[in-house]
Amino acid sequence: MAEPEPPKFKLVLVGDGGTGKTTFVKRHLSGEFEKKYIATIGVEVHPLLFTTTKGKIIFNTWDTAGQEKFGGLRDGYYIQGQCAIIMFDVTSRITYKNVPNWHRDLVRVCENVPIVLCGNKVDIKERKVKAKTITFHRKKNLQYYDISAKSNYNFEKPFLWLTRKLTGEPDIEFVEAPALAPPEVHVDDELMERYRDEMNVAAAQPLPEEEDDL
Amino acid sequence: MSDTENKVTATEAQEDVVDSPDIHFEPIVKLQDVVVKTHEEDEDSIFKMRAKLFRFDFDAKEWKERGTGDVKLLKHKETKKVRLLMRRDKTLKVCANHYITEDMVLSPNVGSDRSWVWNVAADLVEDEVERQLFAIRFGNSENANKFKDAFEEARENNKKSVSSSKSEGASKNEAENKEEAEKGDSEEPRVEKPKAEEKADEKKEAEEKD
Repeated sequence: MAEPEPPKFKLVLVGDGGTGKTTFVKRHLSGEFEKKYIATIGVEVHPLLFTTTKGKIIFNTWDTAGQEKFGGLRDGYYIQGQCAIIMFDVTSRITYKNVPNWHRDLVRVCENVPIVLCGNKVDIKERKVKAKTITFHRKKNLQYYDISAKSNYNFEKPFLWLTRKLTGEPDIEFVEAPALAPPEVHVDDELMERYRDEMNVAAAQPLPEEEDDL
Repeated sequence: MSDTENKVTATEAQEDVVDSPDIHFEPIVKLQDVVVKTHEEDEDSIFKMRAKLFRFDFDAKEWKERGTGDVKLLKHKETKKVRLLMRRDKTLKVCANHYITEDMVLSPNVGSDRSWVWNVAADLVEDEVERQLFAIRFGNSENANKFKDAFEEARENNKKSVSSSKSEGASKNEAENKEEAEKGDSEEPRVEKPKAEEKADEKKEAEEKD
């Protein structure tokens, strides 16, 4: 019996420039935390795969440009969106003030889809948008999460909530992704030598030193 | 104090976040019940410890985070071969998955007494096989040394089991899979399992359903 094709959902990710949309997607894709800011131009689409108690699901995530000048097709990217995340930065009041605009443009195209509002960068001490003052989600029927792409605080929650709503399974959870047996590869002497050289270069390069919770 | 006030206080004590309304959406898919396998079922976990994994980005020439979670060494019950498997916290996605082979040497990372660096010719994550240069960091040097001991023991163990399994034809199958994996241009997800094993799985799943 072949494994059934996992269901795919189009997820639209919007919010002001610099709020951490691309960093959030990269964190989920490869595990990395990108510190450099490179503005997204137009849109970048990435499939994010999750394994749940009821099998695999895929969010085709449309990571859209936050900066107006790089907006590309703008709400043209929202067409046939099945769910959305609106992101703002809790250290920048203006990005929260702009949430209603993003929401208005979104629901014009995507009517009645589940939407999560995310206040990102809660790891930063100088928080400007206090949790108590975040109330927009109550008026517009959104789910809200404080998140941090840096510390991973709540970083799985937006996807878990959307999964529950899109499937109508309130108890669904993320579970261990299947780990098939890896292939066995013989490394010849020439390759070994190259590996050794590369390793010497890399070993001399210090690891990013962050506070880890190990 | 009224009930409502009590609730607000409780929420504030937790995270200070204003509760989200309970909203209903018509679901757009109906998921079937499936058996989700970890593919660790035929292995024993012989080592497990929390760590942070990095991969070397050859283009940017810098270390990038790969994931934080438990790194495990898993020994197959029949072949006795040991692989290293690591999953990220919370999403439980695989971030490292490879056999510990003869050529693998753990080198210290500059200026750190709790990190190791090593080369991987074939790491399998989400149906993709990639060459990786990994670094792993532990909470302290004691834990890092425990990992090193377990890793080196597994390497010696695998030397033995590789030579004994060659006669059984298992390595031929794996070589074929490797070839397929290296083509790299196929749209189809690549399944690394030998056909016979796949059939056995189907049978098992069918039995579980009955």
